[in-house]
Order: sequence, then C-alpha cells, then structure tokens
Amino acid sequence: MTRPTAKQIKAMAEVAGVAVDNDVAARIANSIGPAFEGFAPVAGTLPFDLEPATFLLVQNAKVSQ
Amino acid sequence: MSLTAVAKAIADERVSSREVTQSCLDRIAQWQPKLNAFMAIEAEEALKAADAADAALAKGGAKGVLHGVPLAHKDMYYDKGKVVTCGSKIRRDFVATTTSTALQRLKDAGTVRLGSLQMVEFAYGPTGHNVHYGAVHNPWALDHITGGSSSGSGSAVAARLTFAALGSDTGGSIRLPAHFCGVTGLKTTVGRISRAGAMPLSQSLDTVGPLARSAEDCALLLGLMAGADPEDPTAITGPLPDYRAAAQGSIKGLAIGVPAAFYVDDLDSEVARILDETIAVLKGEGASIVQVELPDQRQLTAACQFVLATEAAAFHKRWLIERPQDYGSQVLMRLQNGLAISAVSYLEAMRWRGPALAAYLAATAGVDAVIAPVAPMPAPTIAESDVGNSPDAEAVIQRLTRFTRPVNYLGLPSLAIPAGFTAKGLPVAMQLIGRSFDEATILKFGAAFQRATDFHARVPKLA
Repeated sequence: MTRPTAKQIKAMAEVAGVAVDNDVAARIANSIGPAFEGFAPVAGTLPFDLEPATFLLVQNAKVSQ
Repeated sequence: MSLTAVAKAIADERVSSREVTQSCLDRIAQWQPKLNAFMAIEAEEALKAADAADAALAKGGAKGVLHGVPLAHKDMYYDKGKVVTCGSKIRRDFVATTTSTALQRLKDAGTVRLGSLQMVEFAYGPTGHNVHYGAVHNPWALDHITGGSSSGSGSAVAARLTFAALGSDTGGSIRLPAHFCGVTGLKTTVGRISRAGAMPLSQSLDTVGPLARSAEDCALLLGLMAGADPEDPTAITGPLPDYRAAAQGSIKGLAIGVPAAFYVDDLDSEVARILDETIAVLKGEGASIVQVELPDQRQLTAACQFVLATEAAAFHKRWLIERPQDYGSQVLMRLQNGLAISAVSYLEAMRWRGPALAAYLAATAGVDAVIAPVAPMPAPTIAESDVGNSPDAEAVIQRLTRFTRPVNYLGLPSLAIPAGFTAKGLPVAMQLIGRSFDEATILKFGAAFQRATDFHARVPKLA
C-alpha cells in the first residue's frame, strides 16, 4: 500500500463529487500519508471470508462469558 | 459535593434544587468569562425548573435518582425545541425536533437543564479550539488547552460549574478533556449507550459517555443511560450490570495489565512518573500487576483514521459541496482528508476490526483491564497547539490522540481517572481500558483508586 499522490487525491475527490484544488490535494496527501504507511502491513493480507460484521461477533462473544 | 452526594442531599431535602441550581449559576457567572465553557446559559429557565422540582418533591413526587440536580451537556445532544449548534457556524440556528435518548433518560431521572456546553466544531478535533465560538480554557491554567472535542464538558466539570456533563468519544473526545482538565471521563463500549439524537461523526466509532467528578458518579450516569433503544438498533440488548454496586467493590484479586511497549514509549517524564505511581496505588489496593504484550497499536491508529476520516467526510459531504466556507479551516481540512481514502481501503479497515479486537482480547486474556496514559504529555498551551490548517496540523493531532485512537478502533470501554499533577499544577490522567461491554470492572478499578487518592477531588481556584 502506497500513500496517494496529490494528483491521485485530486482525481479521487473529483470522483467523490467534492472537487479540491492542487494546494488542498497536496495538503491532504501530506496529512493522510502516514495513515497509509501505518496500515500497509494489513492492507492486502486479509482472508477472503472475512466481513466487517465479524467485529460484532467478537464483541458479543465476550458479553456471554 | 459529588453528583451522587448532591442527588441524595436533594432527595433527603437537606438542600433544595433551587439552592443547588443557584449555587451553580453563581459559579458559572464567576468562571464563564474566564473559561468560555458554556455555549448557552439558561438561568431563568433553570431556576424555574428547580422550583418545580422542589414543589414536586414536597408533594412526594420525585422523578428519579437525579431529581432536581442541575446539569449541562455538550452542545451536540438534541433537545427538542432547543438550539443545538454542534459547535458550528453551519448549525448556529439549528433547532432540534427530537430529544436524544441519552439526554431523555437523564431528564427522566429528574435533572434540571443549566444550558449547553461548548465543544470543538462538529466534535472533530482534540484540542478544544473553536474558531466560531472561541477556545475553551483550562481552569487549572487558563492559557492551556482543555482538550477536545468535549472541551466545555471537561472545563465546566473541573471548575464545578455542573455536577457532570455528557461528552462523546470518537477518537478520544471524552478522555482527552478528562486528562487535561483533571476530571473522570468514561468512554463506553460501542453499542453500550444509544446514539439516537446525538450528532454523528463516525457511525462505527461514536460513543456517548459522561465526564464527572468521580468514577462513582460515572457509574450512576451509565446505569441511567445504558441499554437497548428502539431508536438505535446498534445499542445492545440484554441485562445491565449494577454499575454503582460494582464501583463499591474491592479490586483484590483483579489483575491490571501494563503494556510493555507503545503506551509507555516517549512519555513526558512527569506522565511516566504518574503512571508508575498509579500502578503502585492499584497494587496497594490489592490488584496484581502483569506486563502485557499488545499487538501493534500503530496499525490500529491508522485503521481508526481510515474509518473516522471516511465516515466523517460522508456525513458532511453535502455541506462540503454547498458550504465549505462555513467550516473552520482545521475542521474543513480534516474532513477533506476523508476524500483521499478509497472505498476498498475503508472496507479493509472495517474488515480488520474483528480480527484486531480478537487479537487484543487474546493478548489481554490474563488481565481484567489495561492501564495506559491518556496522552503522552500534560496540557500544552493554547498558543502552541493552535496549528490551524498548517501542514503540521495532523502531526500535532496524531501526537495528542496517539493513546486514545486504538481504543476507539477496537470499540473498547476506557475510564480516564485523574492520577496526579505536574510540578506546574497541570492534571494528568490514566486510562483504564476494559474488555468489550465490561465497564463495571474499570469503574471498580477507578473507584478503588479514588478511595485511595484525592486527585479527583481537587478543585481549581479562580485566578
């Protein structure tokens, strides 16, 4: 997982329907970049049969103990 | 006097609701010009409600356990017919058409409304700055931050302007003001308290909770607010523990985990000292101390940022298009961050949440709670933390929220307790991180600590 560039962010924001200018895109890239680096060890490694609701199962399994 | 004590004093008619309410209003009049903790002060209505509470009590008609107790809350809890600004310019004139479940349950217990409390714009910031309504000031040192986003709640409870206050915690917004202002704050498990009628920021991370003068007071409030709600299907069903009874219990035989890394790294020396002293007190009260090796918390922080930024941007998308000029620059910047995260990355962060929680619970299986600092430093000054939308802003925010965000991502409960003071007189809190839905145990630890210390009972003096 690589941090997105300002150019990529500008395109993503436009697709999302909230256009930003070059300066804002550059600032976002600087700001959000470390999160992409932090999540890199996890990104692309998750097993196929895993869905977000697993979180609720884990939470509630502890309730019944 | 604590919330628990004043509620009993009113119920026993040793003091009237009017006397207590007037006392709070007098103190608010003294402190508000210095603190800016209140968004709105409703003195006349509060006294009228207090008189009604006294009259009802005289006729044997107490509403509940908080009958006649004056409170104020973070200005993001909808209260039908009242303006709820959410700390924003955009909602400056928004009048709620419903009342939030958490607030309604406190009203049903008999509380009197003093007004509403300041907050960070749309609850999206950890410092307490607000460009629309001004910064809230720390009653222990007026030029220092309160922490956010429940800035008014932390400041007002610390200065004894209200007996307790609702806050909300999505990335640390209850625990950080509790830490910087020297009050007790409870971040609840995701799903423990209904979020119906509370301003949303991130549907996966938002939690409702109290800031109060003690763990015992937090236990009282949690017991009133927790539980199923037809207006919020994410609020869990099932029986609730007796939190007040839990808070009276001994911690002998319970185990507290001390992380071997991350939460003990790069601490300000006084925070490190207070962590050691807190552990010693808990040990003295009968808890066993166990070192725990936690999974990599940095990955949790990153995942939390993906979830929070994306969901916040989605909530705000319409206003990001139509009214970007009406946001403060830092909040606008943080909302725009969510535009850079793809749906695939967001969903990966959401999919990982279950395994990440399972790994954490497995690593802490031998302990009843984990202790950690709320933040690596005491309150910085308002000036040094006012980074606006500079390129370094997110780095400052990341440092402040380093120890709180992993807990939000895992959805765990955490109790922030005042644990000491720096040489300059600034409060420092520790957080007791519990297992999912086990608020009772962390309240037990917190109350035991507070029976052995007096940090929570110290009151700042008006400069």
